[in-house]
Amino acid sequence: MKCIVVTPEKTLVDEDAKFIVAPLYDGEYGIDADHAPVVGRLGVGEMRLTLVNDAVQYWFIDGGILEVVDNVATFLTNRACPISDLNVGEARKAIEDANRLPMGSLAEVEIRTEALARANAQLKAAEKAHAMK
Amino acid sequence: MELVSTAQFRPAMLRANAADSYAKRIVQLVSDLAQTGLKTEHPLLAKRETKKRAVLFILTANRGMCGGYNSSVLRLALAKLRELQSEYEQVDLFVSGKRGISFLKYRKIEIERSYTEFDHKPSYDRVLELANELLTLYKKGDIDRFDVAYVKFFSTAKQTPVVETLLPLSNLEVEASGNNEKKLDYEFLPSPQSILEEVIPNAFRTLLFKRLLDAAVSEQVARMMAMKAATDNADEMISSLTTSYNRARQSQITNEIIEVISGASALK
Repeated sequence: MKCIVVTPEKTLVDEDAKFIVAPLYDGEYGIDADHAPVVGRLGVGEMRLTLVNDAVQYWFIDGGILEVVDNVATFLTNRACPISDLNVGEARKAIEDANRLPMGSLAEVEIRTEALARANAQLKAAEKAHAMK
Repeated sequence: MELVSTAQFRPAMLRANAADSYAKRIVQLVSDLAQTGLKTEHPLLAKRETKKRAVLFILTANRGMCGGYNSSVLRLALAKLRELQSEYEQVDLFVSGKRGISFLKYRKIEIERSYTEFDHKPSYDRVLELANELLTLYKKGDIDRFDVAYVKFFSTAKQTPVVETLLPLSNLEVEASGNNEKKLDYEFLPSPQSILEEVIPNAFRTLLFKRLLDAAVSEQVARMMAMKAATDNADEMISSLTTSYNRARQSQITNEIIEVISGASALK
């Protein structure tokens, strides 16, 4: 099974994988070989990629779409990076910034909730990467 | 200069291709979604009745020496600006590139926002910021339309200045309906509608990024062509100047020889 992670800037991952755990909007989603065709909405969080040689890669995925078809899992996302690139301090700051956003209208509340969820997921992944070091 | 722009052209082209493959996948997804029988309705796709504020984003170069690149896009943009001004109460100009900024300042046309950082290598993070801001403004109803004027890249031999409407994203469905090759039964998590909600803003961000990359590639091609023409002209000029220099030198030598000979024969 192939795993591909594409951002508008470049293709970050193009590897043969054994098993993939994807962060969907409502929780983690496991993908094994010969999975049925799926299009899913990605949330913000960590993607675990078990390669053929049993090595595990940890990626931070910032929303987007997951498409699984013909034994190819494609992540279309705006931003992705290895979780080791994340910084706990920056993530904490992102939470503070999100907390400071206005809540005047329904649209503003929506934007704030989204930013807060993103920042929290970033902090969680960053802390995990920090613990693994 | 020709060598510099040739060197910059290649990476710019690669970046544009990478964004293109992402954009194509998104468009393919929209077409797959359309096949499920879902009515592709989304606030970003619907045409607005209100005509209060429109934004025109003009992409020009930071530097000159690229032939008619800047003037062609500016000419088109000004025509579009007049058209929009007759339709909308307020039209704001966003301009990228020093050339465009100075041109509009000279013409005393007000610029709402100017950018000089996109240049030949626009960063996605920066574009993402701008795209998200525009999406927020559009959602809140602060802007009703967003157009981009830029030079579209078709091939190294063809680049055309165009103005395209990115908000509302009405042309997305047209693009999507063009490629219905395979039909697959997907399971949608959670629902086609929710996927659409995620895909459409992403499509806008990618399309905006793609426009900036296209403009960057076109700029390098235009500069390559202009500088090649300049080099060729200079070579031609050098050869014609060398010929006239040699002729002058030759006639001077002939004159001196004649003087020597005539002097010698006078002494006989």
